[in-house]
Amino acid sequence: MTMRLVRTELVDSREILPGQWLQSFLAPELSSGSRAGQFVHARTGDLSGLVLRRPFSINTADPATGVITIHFRTIGRGTEWFTRLRPGDTVEMLGPLGRPFEVDPRSRHLLLIAGGLGMAGVRSLADEAINHGRQVTLLFGAASARDVYPSSLLPDEVEYVIATDDGSVGHKGFVTELVPDYEGWADQAFACGPAPMLAALARIAEGRRERLGVAKLGRKRGVGKPDVVGSTAARRKAFLQVSMEQNMGCAVGACLGCVIMGTNGVPQRVCREGPVFAAEEVAWESGW
Amino acid sequence: MSPADLSVDLGRGLVLPNPILVASGTFGYGIEYGDVVEVDRLGGICCKGTTLQPRIGNITPRVTETPGGMLNSIGLQNPGVDAVVAKYAGTWAGWKTPVIVNVAGESVEDYVEVVQRLEGVSGVAGIELNISCPNVGRGGLQFAIDAGAAGEVTAAVRRATDLPLLVKLSPNVGDVRPIARAIADAGADALTAINTLSGIALAPSRRKPLLGNIYGGLSGPAIKPVALRIVYEVSQVVDIPVVAIGGVTELADVLDFLAVGAVAVQVGTAIFADPTLPVRLVDELTDECERRGIASYAELVGTALPPKPGAPSSKGVEYRP
Ligand SMILES: Cc1cc2nc3c(=O)[nH]c(=O)nc-3n(C[C@H](O)[C@H](O)[C@H](O)COP(=O)(O)O)c2cc1C
Ligand code: FES
Repeated sequence: MTMRLVRTELVDSREILPGQWLQSFLAPELSSGSRAGQFVHARTGDLSGLVLRRPFSINTADPATGVITIHFRTIGRGTEWFTRLRPGDTVEMLGPLGRPFEVDPRSRHLLLIAGGLGMAGVRSLADEAINHGRQVTLLFGAASARDVYPSSLLPDEVEYVIATDDGSVGHKGFVTELVPDYEGWADQAFACGPAPMLAALARIAEGRRERLGVAKLGRKRGVGKPDVVGSTAARRKAFLQVSMEQNMGCAVGACLGCVIMGTNGVPQRVCREGPVFAAEEVAWESGW
Repeated sequence: MSPADLSVDLGRGLVLPNPILVASGTFGYGIEYGDVVEVDRLGGICCKGTTLQPRIGNITPRVTETPGGMLNSIGLQNPGVDAVVAKYAGTWAGWKTPVIVNVAGESVEDYVEVVQRLEGVSGVAGIELNISCPNVGRGGLQFAIDAGAAGEVTAAVRRATDLPLLVKLSPNVGDVRPIARAIADAGADALTAINTLSGIALAPSRRKPLLGNIYGGLSGPAIKPVALRIVYEVSQVVDIPVVAIGGVTELADVLDFLAVGAVAVQVGTAIFADPTLPVRLVDELTDECERRGIASYAELVGTALPPKPGAPSSKGVEYRP
């Protein structure tokens, strides 16, 4: 669906973890017209000084009920405004925005990797993949047990593996340390979280083929033209896709506020070329 | 009664269907908002700042919200004038709404060269010179802060093109009036005011500035009083049309700017929260004229200016930086 301005209605609002909220909005256009990885740009009703909308990943989208959810941490006046919403209140959202995750039709085993709030970026892909009969393992990293996304909010079919910095639950250490156990099993991986985590994953993904000696997904050697970097076809063949974050102005590609540096030397708009990128499209070492 | 006349003549054949434009850098090349905005109903579109060579712009983060506004440091990222013409001019040529290309450069020659490449291009209705750029030839001092440099670049571009020429003023100056006069004397068809105010914000850690470029430009409702003051001052010292920019978020802001002498306004930052605002303002201005029973919105222009905009006053400015 092409983006549009949608009037949504809050139906549920819960603080699922300290300072982290899960809100449900009635938005049939968005629940059936969006794909995993896309986002909305929501307008706050506080017009006393908040001049920008707030981008939120579409955390889940249920076409049957017409409900989408967003998951966020309160980090300022904008997000606090959202927490004061009550059922029946309306919020105007611009969406769906950005490009979605691209799953290769042949992929059976999907590895999802989320750091903290990055859960919101990959969460809907778990639903989408399971609906398509794929197996999903979700590796999740957080500081400690109190920040761990409740397993009750995930589909039963998902294998959920946790790492915490302090070891209060699951593996003690970084979530990236869990990846080697799964990289042989996974056909593709999809990640969202802090930039250093994504950069570490990109390094792991780069060496994967040599380590495993597996064939690259995609065209047969010597047949056809290589896919254009950043094209849907090229992304579909990428082992690792990442959902990136950046401060946004317009969220439609007009202001160039939200860029990250691409490996082609051209800044890439997170709101338009992203938020999902194939890992090899991102210049991780550029310092941008 | 037929709807009030909203058309605006900015000179040299540039007639806008209405006085509500969208500001450079906030509306891309006019296509990004897709069906969300009825582009054909806008009075004009100022596209993103365009330079001779492609520019990758500034390191990130580039934008952040501030109370009643935002800071940006895009750094004039753009694909260069030739790519802009190749990619967008064809689309613009099919629109009713005039597209004004915002031009930036680092030397007088840069500006002239860009403008020459826009001359005669179908779809390009005019030029808006962004002179808030460092002038490499003068040790990096901005053209916009010096009447001599501002006049020089305007005159050079004027000689190079017959396109309607708007020149955009910076608020980051002591007294804007001599600069405005120099630009008008150098042959600009209209002035636009204002560009962003220089500012900084800090990272949450307070260990460094937030923006990758340290400095950013402040825009949004927070700057409206400054823009209003500058339009008030400028429209009293030049005879060419003045287009107001800065913090427009509702009809009252449009009416305020008209009252201090602007003949049109540009909407910038407010588009991010409310993309349909500019088109709505066109409707609301039409309704306002009808409510007041006036045949042209022009009757709303200049009502708050002193009766006789005589000789430049030395005591007109209350605020002295
Ligand atoms: C993200 C952003 C990018 C901008 N880029 C340009 C530009 O390329 N050239 C220019 O002359 N002004 C640029 N501006 C300034 C605006 O055109 C306008 O003068 C300013 O934002 C004040 O208007 P506002 O308060 O309505 O936003 C930019 C402003 C913003 C917010
Ligand atoms: S937020 Fe404006 S271009 Fe992405």
